[in-house]
Amino acid sequence: MTPMRTTPTLTRALALVAFAALCAPAFAQGKKADKDTEQWRYEMEAVNTGSAGTYQLKVWSYSKNAAVATEQAKKNAVHGVIFRGFTGSGRVPGQNPLASSTNLEAEHADFFKAFFADGGKYMKFVQITNGGVVDPADRLKVGKEYKIGVIVSVDAANLRKDLEAAGIIKGLGNGF
Amino acid sequence: MMKHLRTLFLGTLLLGAVTTATAQAKKPTLMVVPSDNWCYQNGFILEYDNQGKMVKTPDYKRALQENSDLLLVISKINQLMTDRGFPLKNLESSLKTLESEAAEDNMSQSKSGGEVSESPTDKLKKVAKADIWMQLTWTVNEMGPKRSITFNLQGLDAYTDKQVAGASGTGPQSQTPELAILLEEAVLSQLDLFNGQLQKHFDDLFANGREVMLRIKKWDSFSGDLESEYGGEELSTQIENWVSANTVGGRFSLSDATENMMLFEQVRIPLYDATGKAVDTRGWAKGLQKHLKEAYQIEAKLVMKGLGQATIIVGEK
Repeated sequence: MTPMRTTPTLTRALALVAFAALCAPAFAQGKKADKDTEQWRYEMEAVNTGSAGTYQLKVWSYSKNAAVATEQAKKNAVHGVIFRGFTGSGRVPGQNPLASSTNLEAEHADFFKAFFADGGKYMKFVQITNGGVVDPADRLKVGKEYKIGVIVSVDAANLRKDLEAAGIIKGLGNGF
Repeated sequence: MMKHLRTLFLGTLLLGAVTTATAQAKKPTLMVVPSDNWCYQNGFILEYDNQGKMVKTPDYKRALQENSDLLLVISKINQLMTDRGFPLKNLESSLKTLESEAAEDNMSQSKSGGEVSESPTDKLKKVAKADIWMQLTWTVNEMGPKRSITFNLQGLDAYTDKQVAGASGTGPQSQTPELAILLEEAVLSQLDLFNGQLQKHFDDLFANGREVMLRIKKWDSFSGDLESEYGGEELSTQIENWVSANTVGGRFSLSDATENMMLFEQVRIPLYDATGKAVDTRGWAKGLQKHLKEAYQIEAKLVMKGLGQATIIVGEK
């Protein structure tokens, strides 16, 4: 009996299917994480006053996949600085959102869709501190998912300038 | 050919209109000053004679000359505000201008017969012409080796003396020996909050105009009073009508009126006149002075206090 031989094309197709099957959960998790961001499913608190124009924040994100939650923290942080603001913690004051209108996200839906896309422009204004190392106390299992607290630094000054230049938010001197 | 010429002509007109509109824009000017409280706490005060009564006032000049931390904080705020497109007016330069104009001011004061007295701060407001004063206070709290800063930044409208923006708080305790670092942190953590409120104030200015105060008085030499009839109405009614017609949305409050005086508060004057020229309180009140002369042949004197308080004294100049 001769062993069953597969053609190179079939092998490649099988490999692709296997790869897709492996990636699918992570991809689905990423999509879900984006949805969570849109639905404000994250929490933020002030950690410290950074250097000129930056905010140091702890962002709590949710996902079944710890890596996705860690990565999504960056997106959530920028989202929060623009639309939500954050409360103070101890003696570090909170800040108001950059957006003065509560409907800003809907008014510029196309802009923000591209802005917050994976690898989008938001990445320019945020970085994870401590090389992304999460304190064990900030990694919580809540039901079937993780709640991960990541400390990030958001360059709010340049984020504001960028949104002002794009005509999304008003500058302090607008109208004069 | 004619069509092209017409398009070119219309284009030029449009460009002209846009340029004019851009030229109208006049940004409010801001200036940082240490608060009275900070000056008193740190011993930077001077006394002046206000019609026989000695009054204490902040000595900004000496504070700037002798306190390096103050200079640092002003410089840091200036740096951050410039970044937001709002370079600040320099307090030191304004003080120098004030000194050089002091003799002239004294002359004009005696001419007005001392009717309206101005404090050195009022004079500085007039010279600096800063629309908003960012008043700064900080105290250093010490607990053992640790220190923290309580920082308070108030944005005061120079026209009304009302607080239009503010941010305050006590920073984290730190063992940092340099006060300068603690102060810098305090400025960084509070300025965005301050600017958020300032933005709301600017939005209000655009929507409702600038708030000023107008006082009407009469000279003893004036033959009538504010209840005398002019054009079929009492003079006070005619003045009220003018104010109503020349305020944004007719917004003002006539808080006191007798036959000898009227006090208009919360008067919202437009930022620009019909020609697009920026309007200040003096320019706006001059309109009433002119109206009284043209419509009723009444001479009147206009006296200013600070930037936002105009007094019109009817009867003579």
